[in-house]
This record gives sequence, C-alpha cells and structure tokens, in this order.
Amino acid sequence: MNPAINAVVSARGLTKRYGKQVALNGVDFDIPAGRIVGLIGPNGSGKTTTLKAALGLIPFEGSLTVLGHDPRSERDALMQEVCFIADVAILPRWLKVGDAIDFVAGVHPRFDRKKAERYLAITKLTPGMKVRAMSKGMIVQLHLALVMAIDAKLLVLDEPTLGLDIMYRKQFYQNLLEDYFDENKTIIITTHQVEEVEHILTDLMFIREGKIVLAATMDEVGERYTEVMVQADKVAAANALSPIDQRTVFGKSVMLFDGVARSQLATLGETRNPSVADLFVATMKGSYA
Amino acid sequence: MKTLQWMLRRELWEHKGSLFWAPVVVAAILLIVTAGSAGYGLLAHGAHFTAMVDGRQFYMSSFRAMPAEMQVAAVQFAANSYLASAVPLFIMMAFTVFFYCLSALYDERRDRSVLFWKSLPMSDHMTVLSKVLTAAVVAPAITIAAALVLSLALLIIMGVYLALNGVNLFGALLATPALYLSPLFLIGMLPVYALWAMPTIGWLLMVSSWAKSKVFLWAVGVPIIALVIVKWVDFLVTGNQGMNSGLAHVAREVVNRGLGGLVPGIWFAFSDHTVAMRPGEHGVELGQVFAQSWMTLAAPGVWIGAVAGLAMIVVAIRMRRWRDEG
Repeated sequence: MNPAINAVVSARGLTKRYGKQVALNGVDFDIPAGRIVGLIGPNGSGKTTTLKAALGLIPFEGSLTVLGHDPRSERDALMQEVCFIADVAILPRWLKVGDAIDFVAGVHPRFDRKKAERYLAITKLTPGMKVRAMSKGMIVQLHLALVMAIDAKLLVLDEPTLGLDIMYRKQFYQNLLEDYFDENKTIIITTHQVEEVEHILTDLMFIREGKIVLAATMDEVGERYTEVMVQADKVAAANALSPIDQRTVFGKSVMLFDGVARSQLATLGETRNPSVADLFVATMKGSYA
Repeated sequence: MKTLQWMLRRELWEHKGSLFWAPVVVAAILLIVTAGSAGYGLLAHGAHFTAMVDGRQFYMSSFRAMPAEMQVAAVQFAANSYLASAVPLFIMMAFTVFFYCLSALYDERRDRSVLFWKSLPMSDHMTVLSKVLTAAVVAPAITIAAALVLSLALLIIMGVYLALNGVNLFGALLATPALYLSPLFLIGMLPVYALWAMPTIGWLLMVSSWAKSKVFLWAVGVPIIALVIVKWVDFLVTGNQGMNSGLAHVAREVVNRGLGGLVPGIWFAFSDHTVAMRPGEHGVELGQVFAQSWMTLAAPGVWIGAVAGLAMIVVAIRMRRWRDEG
C-alpha cells in the first residue's frame, strides 16, 4: 500500500458507487510522470468516473493521490497544477474569445497568452466572436487553445476532439505531442477514436466494468501481443496456441496472441504488432453481451 | 484578490444586460420622457401650466407669486428629495438581482460550463463569494451610480425649466447642503442593504445550487406553500378559540425576510422607524432615512437573518463543490 513515490496519479482500491451500481470496483494503478496515457474502455466502463475522481469532482472510496494531493480535500491546490477538458462544447454561450483569453490569463498563473493567440491564429476565430455564434468545432478549438496554453503538470482530456474534423484532430494531436508535451508533463486521454491517438501514447490502460483489465506501456504491449496472418495450412497449429482473438481478412485467418514468443509465431505466418483498436476489441469481447 | 476581480468582471460580462444596461436604459427613458414633456410643455403652453416634478405639482404662475420663504422651502424640498426620482431604478434592481441570484449557480450547471470554470484554479468559495458580492454590492453600486446621474439630470432639467419661466433656483440649490449630502446618505445605506439582503441572497443561491430545474418555483413556491400550511395548522389549532399561537406570525416574518430582502428599504417594513419615509413639508429627508436605516440594525432580527443567509451560502458552496454534473 505504498504508492509509487514519483507517480503523478496513484490509485489504491479506488471505488465509486452510484446507488447500488458500482462504477469503479477497487481500481489500482500508477501513472508516472512524463507519460501520455490512453484510458480506453467501452461506454459506461468507468473511464469518466476515474477522471472525475482524479479531478476532485466527485467523492469516492479508497485512496487516490494526484500530484501528491488528495483530490477530495485539496482540490484548490491541485487545480494550480492540473488542467482538464471534461466535455466538449461546454464554454458558456455569452463568452467572447477575447474575454476568454483575458480571463484565463487573469486567473491562471501558468497561462501563456502568446501561445493561446498562436493557436487561435490558425482558426477562424476572432476576438469579438461569442461562443453563441460558433459552430461546435469552433468551440472546441477555442477550448483547446485555452487549455493547451496552460503549462499544467497533468492534463486530462476526456474525448477532447469530439465534433472536430479530421484535419483539426490531426493538427491537435500533433501540437499536443510536439508543442505541449515534455518529460515533466503527464497527459491522460480518453477517446473513442483510438486509431488517432495510438501513435502518440506511451501507455495504455483498458478499463472494463469498473476494473482495469490492462495497464502497460506501449513497448510492453508490443512485446506481449502479436498478430499473425496465419497461413492456411498452419491454422490448426495456431489454434493450439490459443489465440485470444481471430478474424478473417480476405480469406486468411488473422489471430491475436498474448504472451507467445514472436519467433515461434513467425513460423505460422507473417507477424506484426496489433493495432490498439484490434487489441481493444479482443480484450473487451463480451462487454456488450 | 486578482482572481476575485476577474470573477466579478466575469459576472458583469455574463449579466451585462440586467446589471448594467437595464438601469442605464430605464434611466435614459425616464430622462427623455421628463425632458420631452418639459420641452413640449414649454413649447405648447408657454410659461403658464402646471408641471409634476418629483411627484409635486408646481403651478408656474403661482410659484413666481410665492413669497421668498416659500421659494426657499421649495428649494429645500428639491435638494432633499431629488433622489426620489430614481425610485423606479431601485425597484427594478430588486427584480434583476432576484433573478440574477436564482440563475447564478443554476445556469452554469444547465449548460455544463461549470466544468470549464472548475478546470481553472478558482475555488468554489471564491466563485460563490463573487456572486454574493455581485448581488450585494456591485449591482446596488451600479444602480446607485445610474440613480445619481438620473436624479441630477432631472434636477437640472427642472432648474432650467424654472429658469426659463423666470425663476432661477440654481444659486439657492447649489447653496443647499442637502444637495451634496443626499448621494452620500444613499451610498452610506449600502451596508444596511447588504445585511438585509443576505437572507434572500443566501436562500436564492442555495436553491440555485441545488434545484435540478424550475428554480423559480422552488425558490418562491416552497416558502409560500410552507406558509400556507403553517397558517392552516395554526388556524386548526387555535382559530376556534380566536387565539394566535405566534407560529404563523414567525413563519410570515421568515418568508418575508427570506424573499423580500432584495427590496431596498424593506427594513422599514420590519421596524417602527417609518416616520422618515413620509414626505414632510421638506420632502423625504434622506438624512433621516439614512439614520433610521442604520437604527434598524439595533434589532436582532436582521442579524439572525444575515447569519441564516451566510449559512445558506455555505451550503451553496458545498453543493457546488460536490454536485456531480454527470
């Protein structure tokens, strides 16, 4: 019960009940500094509940430390170092772009005004524009520009790019990686568009029915899981190694193995690292059953 | 401190229409109507007609015929009570602040923007404090400013009008201390206002932080229904004997203080110091009103109400802290 000293977020027995329904069921995890963690799970699996607990937005049971603070009792101190996007398009409708920048610059000691203005320069937003008059995508652009200009030690993004077109989404993740992220920062992202974030993640956490079912670095995931395009005559041999998932692509069997040596699998056919999406589907099988 | 300033500015951005433009526009309308009718009267009737200024009827021809000491009395009257022309602004303020408080912690939950505010380093107690200050100090201060501008402008219009009728009162007016003291008395009543408003502000903010919908019904309906029930019980228990248990009286007092605290001058309804409110021959003497307003603080009721208001504000802070926005 000794949370890792350098962990940015550390949970032990984190539990959250909504009435009789258990949203989080004794979750343990540690997130070290300088990581980009993808928290991935189906709807209702407890992703958002985990993030809300870490941000001090809801009470919970068990222990949870974020940057050395208990989010329940020390939220005000925590918010000096943490920023988050909890939902898209939640900026107040009366807010003007220019006022929003002035306001955040006024209340946040870690806000870099120039940076925010640089992000906004590549959008169609103008200082006099009100949120009321913006499209959903534009609201997200404003919100992201504000948040990306805050030099927070921990940034929590819950579905940050919902409603954005693909060009801006790519741009955003590019900026996040190149411009925002460094070894002193930690980013936690939840999203349904797994393919778009997998190349920037350093760590993966799968959550299912209030339990963490996988927590590993991307390197570990690469070592542990292998996808094999099995040759037709080797299917029986491959099945004997008990794949965790299989599907058929152009008449060929594609199998996913957990913890089987890659050299051994290479004899069955072409091997490669599975995509996070495929791994997710294999891991979550039966979630909707 | 800097954060609080920005939070107050934020409240003004959001409620610019009701907190700033409403008093300005109403003051402008009052001014235009008065100036217009004075101008029209001058053009249409020349010097011989009657005018209503500050609710007093002046007969122009008779005014000139007045003896000097009566003219002095009229000047005194004007200097004492010229601020009374801004009464509509203060009545309106009671309504705008009422609805401001009702929406203060409700709207941000309804449009979920509370999640944005909570992502910034602004504590819940600072946020709620900024809303209390907006209701108790900022909104009255804006209204007082608008009231002063309006009243002085109306006084000048009246003076110019009389001057055009051959009666120059400006010299006498400018030499009357009440002209300068009245604004100070008005501003000096702000702390009294804030204390009397506290139970209402607290109640409305608490409902605003708690209700899932229909804030107005909860805020007004619940106390009124409770009052009706208490009165009914009171009637059943004591009505037949023609006695009064006192419970209904207390309940009415609580509801009146809880819902009516935002009305400026409501304190006179809860005390015996009503003399100053009746215009005498010198008009409403604001100095008297000021002194008697402060004297209402001698009664324990206002303090009990203020403490109850603060307690409800604390509840509102806790509610905002822990409310799960789903």
